[in-house]
Amino acid sequence: MDKELIANRLFTHSVFPVIKVVLQEDEFYKKLFSNVEARVAIKAEDKGAVLCFNNGEYSLDYEDLETADITFKFSTIKKMNDFLRGRLVLPSISGFTKIALLTKVILLLNSLKIMMPNVRPKAEDKKYLKVKMAFYMAITSLSQLNKVGDADMQKWVTKQPDRIYQVVVEGTDIAAFLRVKAGKSKSGRGEYKRKRPFVTMRLKGLDGAMAVLLRDVEFIEAVRKDYVSIDGAPEYAAQMNDYMMRIQAMTT
Amino acid sequence: MAEEILGTTWTVYDADTLTQAEIYGQTLVDLGAIHPEIVGVTADLAKSTKIGKFGDAYPDRFFNVGIAEQNLFGVAAGLAKSGLVPFVSTMAAFASMRAAEQVRTDICYQNLNVKIIATHAGLSFGAAGSTHHCTEDLSILRAFPNMTVIVPADGIETANAVRASIKHDGPVYIRIGRGFEPSYYKNDDYGFEIGKAVSIRKGTDITLIVTGIGVLQAAEAADLLKENDNISVEVINMHTIKPIDRDAIIGAVKNSRRIITIEEHNIFGGLGSAVAEVIVESGTACAFEKVGIPDEFSIVGYPEDLYSHYGLDSNGIIEKVREVMGKDFEEDDNWEDEF
Repeated sequence: MDKELIANRLFTHSVFPVIKVVLQEDEFYKKLFSNVEARVAIKAEDKGAVLCFNNGEYSLDYEDLETADITFKFSTIKKMNDFLRGRLVLPSISGFTKIALLTKVILLLNSLKIMMPNVRPKAEDKKYLKVKMAFYMAITSLSQLNKVGDADMQKWVTKQPDRIYQVVVEGTDIAAFLRVKAGKSKSGRGEYKRKRPFVTMRLKGLDGAMAVLLRDVEFIEAVRKDYVSIDGAPEYAAQMNDYMMRIQAMTT
Repeated sequence: MAEEILGTTWTVYDADTLTQAEIYGQTLVDLGAIHPEIVGVTADLAKSTKIGKFGDAYPDRFFNVGIAEQNLFGVAAGLAKSGLVPFVSTMAAFASMRAAEQVRTDICYQNLNVKIIATHAGLSFGAAGSTHHCTEDLSILRAFPNMTVIVPADGIETANAVRASIKHDGPVYIRIGRGFEPSYYKNDDYGFEIGKAVSIRKGTDITLIVTGIGVLQAAEAADLLKENDNISVEVINMHTIKPIDRDAIIGAVKNSRRIITIEEHNIFGGLGSAVAEVIVESGTACAFEKVGIPDEFSIVGYPEDLYSHYGLDSNGIIEKVREVMGKDFEEDDNWEDEF
């Protein structure tokens, strides 16, 4: 499958969902969207998603891309991806007259830049936000990579029985898991309690997680420096990390 | 003559390896040297059950009551009442069924310090026929108050169980086989403790809770499943059926969410039932299967063939694991809901 199509799927199905974290955890955005009731489409060709705001609630619509108060329309999927990668690409915007909503949405999309590997927040609340969003996005992307038909990922998932791969940031409530089973995959948030995960990647607090996310150290070095510890099969944890690195490369 | 026939072995793969019963006999001789209160009692099966070794070493502390199993346990109760610690050896079918009332009323009711070593249990008496198989004893014995029920994996664990039973005050039923069942353990310092299960393989996909001869088979199955199917199998040696290790069972449920019990016993009332009771009482949920003898009188044949027939060998276990792995450990089958 075309790499840009895969990347687009990751943006719409893995990055857009973590906007929910911003709306729930960042007081500024929480207040900004508390009374917003609107649909904002971001699309190229027949791909994309509609961000649905409903007085503090947030959801996504992948079916009806036409019904929207504001639409960001890109001429190609690559241009849409580049825009979401933080590059300078100008879409055509319909609903331009809803200037207040447009301003809020642009601010919100801009907040996603915190996930970029070169962004190093200093404040603890921003570090928390970055780590949480990045891991939620990465774990969901692993599942989406399988669903969108990435050959390597599909091969990896197909060979496995019912298993849980988990990432936990110690000392915080940040945790996310990937469930795989004979070709099927699903991501989830929070710590998985129904069975002991096959692999749990434990990051030592926000600083340990930041060191890994910012690629200050390679994975093996991170384990050696005790930024990361692994419960379960280390070789599978390394494979999972490799896929997460691939995802980062595709979305930045 | 009958005793000589019973003493014949038919699966001598390794003549240098002692049977569970032979190790039991030798352990009892060793213990007899430091515990003068130990006495041996049998019902004309000294050779077959190997308690004869104790009789040879301490003839004045050894009693053969003749072919009279009910009397055997009545005599043992009397010896225990006088402050001795009788080790009683007979076949499992006789100990658990023919003499069930004496074991229950004479021994368990008074919580007497009698140690019952029940040999030829399960299917191990293969060719002797269904009447001499014993696939109901765990169900019967664990229903008796005060009784402790142990099913060692092999000769080494039998020795551990016998030694531990000396320190345990009250009746103990130790169930062993007859033939040259291969050993799982290589030494005895793995931390045997009555009522405490032993983890012998770590895994997260599925848990095999096993007792007796199934331990070696399950360990072999786990290794093959890891190698060939990439399935991570946890194996727990549940050597004590009563009191059962509840923490180990609940931990296993939380660990893998898939449990298979394996026992050389009827699927009713034995290990599988005991494990199921704990799971249900704990309020946790998991996929659950019992491997054992179904609701029938076991067929006749060599033990190895019978183990294979009832899925108790490593191949049977592998097949069952593959079947269970096809089931979800949770009902959530909505693979699209990721938001």
